[in-house]
Amino acid sequence: MNDLTIVSTQSTPLIETDSTRGVIYMEGDSYPENSFEFYGDLVGWVTAYLQENSRPLVLELALLYLNTSSIKVMMDIFDELEEAHQAGRDITVNWRYDSDNERVAELAEEFKEDCSFSFNIIGQE
Amino acid sequence: MFVPDLYGLRERFDNEKILLCFNGPISRSLIEEIGNALRNYLKSEQASPASALDVFAVYIELTQNIRHYAMRSEWPAAETATVVVSFREGHYHISAGNLLRISDGEALLDKVQKLGAMDKAELKTLYKQQLRKPREEGVASGAGLGLIDIARKASAPMVPALKDLENGTGFFSLSVQI
Repeated sequence: MNDLTIVSTQSTPLIETDSTRGVIYMEGDSYPENSFEFYGDLVGWVTAYLQENSRPLVLELALLYLNTSSIKVMMDIFDELEEAHQAGRDITVNWRYDSDNERVAELAEEFKEDCSFSFNIIGQE
Repeated sequence: MFVPDLYGLRERFDNEKILLCFNGPISRSLIEEIGNALRNYLKSEQASPASALDVFAVYIELTQNIRHYAMRSEWPAAETATVVVSFREGHYHISAGNLLRISDGEALLDKVQKLGAMDKAELKTLYKQQLRKPREEGVASGAGLGLIDIARKASAPMVPALKDLENGTGFFSLSVQI
């Protein structure tokens, strides 16, 4: 399947996927005006990956600020991952943040509340 | 020729502890650029990373709400946003206003007042419910979460105001304390 490489802009994060290793990497801020449009390719990639194989999927996140429409899209993606996890898929989220900024940890924590797969929130000095 | 009273304007900004003010048609790139200036300013003032992020988040939600309303209503006058960020009495304040149809203004006023009467736990429950609602088809953003998110970040109830311009339109503004 085709992997994604979306370079970051001031208002959108870097997004890279690696279907061979089963990894999604995202880093930066996310506040596009139309998040549903911006995240269309990623949402499509996740759905295709989950359909095409039964291998694990790891999300490596270093996201900082998300506007509410980005939060909505991420929640939809996490819901899809949760469904796959309930069906036996190995899913892991590793969300790294600067430990000076507890707001990022609180944001990640609210996503984690609705997920039963492995969700690690990792503060870094 | 007309000469604007720049000193008077400056004195007013200083007296009201205004760090940033914008009045004019707001675009996607202006929101980003002003947001960038705001972030740099907060950094130089050594605001805590958490309050700097809260101020930025409220600024983004308020201005993007105005953009979405202007696009949805297909009414160019609604694109003109008035945005003020100030620091008084130990708190950051973000205010934004725009023109809207008076009926839309009344509905918004009602919504903000209802949110203002809720405590943080109730707001979180409402936020999570809204997050689970299927998105309306064809709506660009309007995840319906913006105002709830702002209410959750505010350190005092949000203050809305609606000025009836008596031609079917009104000026709506919302002030938020962090």
